[in-house]
Amino acid sequence: MMGLVGVNGAGKTTLLRLLTGIAAPDTGEVTVLGHRLPDDQVAAKRDIGFASEDMRLYRGQSLRWHMDLIRGVYPGWDEAYAGELRRRFDLRVDQRLGGYSHGQRVKALLLLCLARRPRLLLLDEPTTGLDPVARVEVLEALADVLQEESRSVLFSSHNTHDVERLADTITFLHQGRLIASADKHDFVDRWRRVLCHGVLPGGLESWPEIARARANGSLVEIKARAWSEDLPARLAAQGLQVQRADPMTLEDIFITAVRSEAVA
Amino acid sequence: MRLNTAVIRLLIAKDWQLFQKPLAVCVLAGVVALCFLGLAEPWAFYVGSLLLLIVLISSACFSISTSLVVERKEHTLAFVMSLPVSPLDFTVSKLIGSLLTFGVPFGLMLGGALALVLYTPLPDGLFVYTLLIFGWLLFAYAVSLAVAMSVESEGWATFVMIGSMVLINPYIMGLSQVPVIADRISVDALVWTAPAVGILTTLVVLALVVLGVTTWHHARKPAFY
Amino acid sequence: MDAPAPAERLHAMDHLRALAMLAGVLFHAALAYSPVMRGFFPTADRQTSGWVDAVVWGLHLVRMPLFFFLAGFFAAWVIERRGGTALARQRVRRILVPFVVAWPLVEGSLAASTRWAALNVEHPSALLVAAREWMQRPDRPPLPPTTAHLWFLYYLLLLGVLHWAVRALEWGRGGPWLTSRSPQWLLLGLPLLLTPALASVSAPHPAPEGLLPQFWAIGFYGAFYALGALVHARRDWLERARPLAPWLTAGSATLYAVFLTGLAAAPPSAGNTTASWGLAAVEACLSVWLTVLCLLVGLRLLNRPSPGLRYLSQAAYWTYLVHLPLLFALQYALMDRGWPWPLKLALAVGATLVGSLLTYQLLVRHTPLRRFVG
Repeated sequence: MMGLVGVNGAGKTTLLRLLTGIAAPDTGEVTVLGHRLPDDQVAAKRDIGFASEDMRLYRGQSLRWHMDLIRGVYPGWDEAYAGELRRRFDLRVDQRLGGYSHGQRVKALLLLCLARRPRLLLLDEPTTGLDPVARVEVLEALADVLQEESRSVLFSSHNTHDVERLADTITFLHQGRLIASADKHDFVDRWRRVLCHGVLPGGLESWPEIARARANGSLVEIKARAWSEDLPARLAAQGLQVQRADPMTLEDIFITAVRSEAVA
Repeated sequence: MRLNTAVIRLLIAKDWQLFQKPLAVCVLAGVVALCFLGLAEPWAFYVGSLLLLIVLISSACFSISTSLVVERKEHTLAFVMSLPVSPLDFTVSKLIGSLLTFGVPFGLMLGGALALVLYTPLPDGLFVYTLLIFGWLLFAYAVSLAVAMSVESEGWATFVMIGSMVLINPYIMGLSQVPVIADRISVDALVWTAPAVGILTTLVVLALVVLGVTTWHHARKPAFY
Repeated sequence: MDAPAPAERLHAMDHLRALAMLAGVLFHAALAYSPVMRGFFPTADRQTSGWVDAVVWGLHLVRMPLFFFLAGFFAAWVIERRGGTALARQRVRRILVPFVVAWPLVEGSLAASTRWAALNVEHPSALLVAAREWMQRPDRPPLPPTTAHLWFLYYLLLLGVLHWAVRALEWGRGGPWLTSRSPQWLLLGLPLLLTPALASVSAPHPAPEGLLPQFWAIGFYGAFYALGALVHARRDWLERARPLAPWLTAGSATLYAVFLTGLAAAPPSAGNTTASWGLAAVEACLSVWLTVLCLLVGLRLLNRPSPGLRYLSQAAYWTYLVHLPLLFALQYALMDRGWPWPLKLALAVGATLVGSLLTYQLLVRHTPLRRFVG
């Protein structure tokens, strides 16, 4: 399960659209599950469940109507699983979706994606626009559901907390480029916020393992993207006295990564 | 390029189901219009035929707006495009679906109107004139459908839809300026004249060309959103 | 048998529908001897009798309303059991196809027998005389086509479409409220609604056989169709109306006397094309109350399996489709006979029924046709 993190406009939605074949790349090639896109998008979309934040269901129709439509399209539709999800999400099938809350609509969309048993699930900002309670509900339901599943999931968010909660692997995207991609624990293990005492020497930011460094009086804060045991010694050689080195939150890592990328 | 006919059929059925409510309103208004015609009074004939024209134009506009404009505006298009369909499948389903949702009321009303002209004391000269009016509506519909399928702007789609339908007024005025057409309306005989045949053929051919070019254009899009 | 189970009630509904259709044969045959219809009916005989008027107009006021009530009832039944699509398919097979096929045949045979009668009958009716004059005109204008007695199929189709539209728009929500009230509300309210429809046409109301739908006919027959569909959802409505039966009977008898008196005072004529509001209100009450009374009597007496009635209900549709051309041909042939009218009526009805049932047995009952008109 990979979480795709990026600020608004980073290219998350575009990437997901490219991966479903509904947008064509200007250059390069896209291959998903062995299908070349967008030419082979029909076959690819049979194996992909895609739900995006700007995707809406028909307001005038019921969930039952949508389920019937999807069942007609996907031979692998699992009616029993759909019923189970419906109960877990507490959705009424005969109610029109116009009367659903935003959270219920997101859950309905997830139900429609999950019950077709896709090999790959692409979720574009599934929690955006939800109130805190609905957000937690959707995340919990998603975490529950996905624990039982053996499928790949790629989901995007600009909310690092959501990603931290759900993803095993995390990818940072900025201005259409991939700036970092690693296992969640790797990220946390590698990144460190190092507090030192001394004068900030020039050229520190050009070190590959250092993402950012700034001084506040005699206090120097360094954010390292590749922490290693010998880093304090090398900093000491530059006249900096390392006082502490703390792990960073994913949000902090993300912001630092984006900023250092912007400077670069 | 192979078409995914099973899914296309489902998408057409979906559009037909979504069109049920507007269609029901049109059908009710159509029955009321026919009842007015059935009163066999000159004022009722005027009211009835005006209502029929309104019903026809609204069914054309509803047909395009429920299947294309609203789908784009309410972001249900994204949902449809996430299903295993190619842009060509989607275009074909929209084309057939719209032609069906418009074609059924259009065909019924055209047949009804022509039968009315032939089997009631109305002058048979109205036959050709009725065909000319329906011909314009078909042409206006084809243009509106093509534009709604091709542009992403709801404003332009609506503008062309209303504009092409409103232009029926100057078109009717124009017809009245052609003596061989205008003079035959009140004659109780079915006579085809060269200008009438010419106008009708032009309209139908143009409608087909517009729809053909739109389909061709869409079929060549690798992807769209 | 006080409150029969809902499933059994369909026996009564089935049998009533058959009787309503067969009553049509008697009605059309008897019109030939009605003084009121003398100037308007092609088979009008030299002999007429006031007794005929005393009976046929009562039949006229209840026969088709009852039929449309049952049509609405069965339509709702099919929708409940098998859904709207199944109903649409059934309507196409059992109404549209028979209508399209039977219409030209009925029109053609009626035109042929009438042409023969206009030329050959020595004691023609006023209409036959007019037809003869029309045929002799060199520049005769074409007559507008009519749906003849098949108008009921045309209106069944139309009401089927309206039923679909009302369901699609979800406009029927107030209906259950109406049938959940005390039945007297509908028994008194419905006639009020029907009065304007009946006041817009002559009394007795004509058959809406033109090609264009008529407001009054859609309103009048549509109300009974809707009532049938609503009662299907609230089957106890009729049983709740049963205590009112004595009142309905007494009211109907009184109003029928008023109606016959009104009809005698102002018979329909070329200059009298609309009924007075009073007479229309009387007609409206009679049609609603008599229809409900027929249903109550039917539920009491006909709500059991009966092989004879079952056969008749299976043959009723075909019989009704073919009866008019047969009946007209027979009555044209009987016009010059000097026999007493009851004998002519019995002969015409008997021979028409025998002919219809015989053709049903031979052409329909064991052939693919029974899928359409069996």
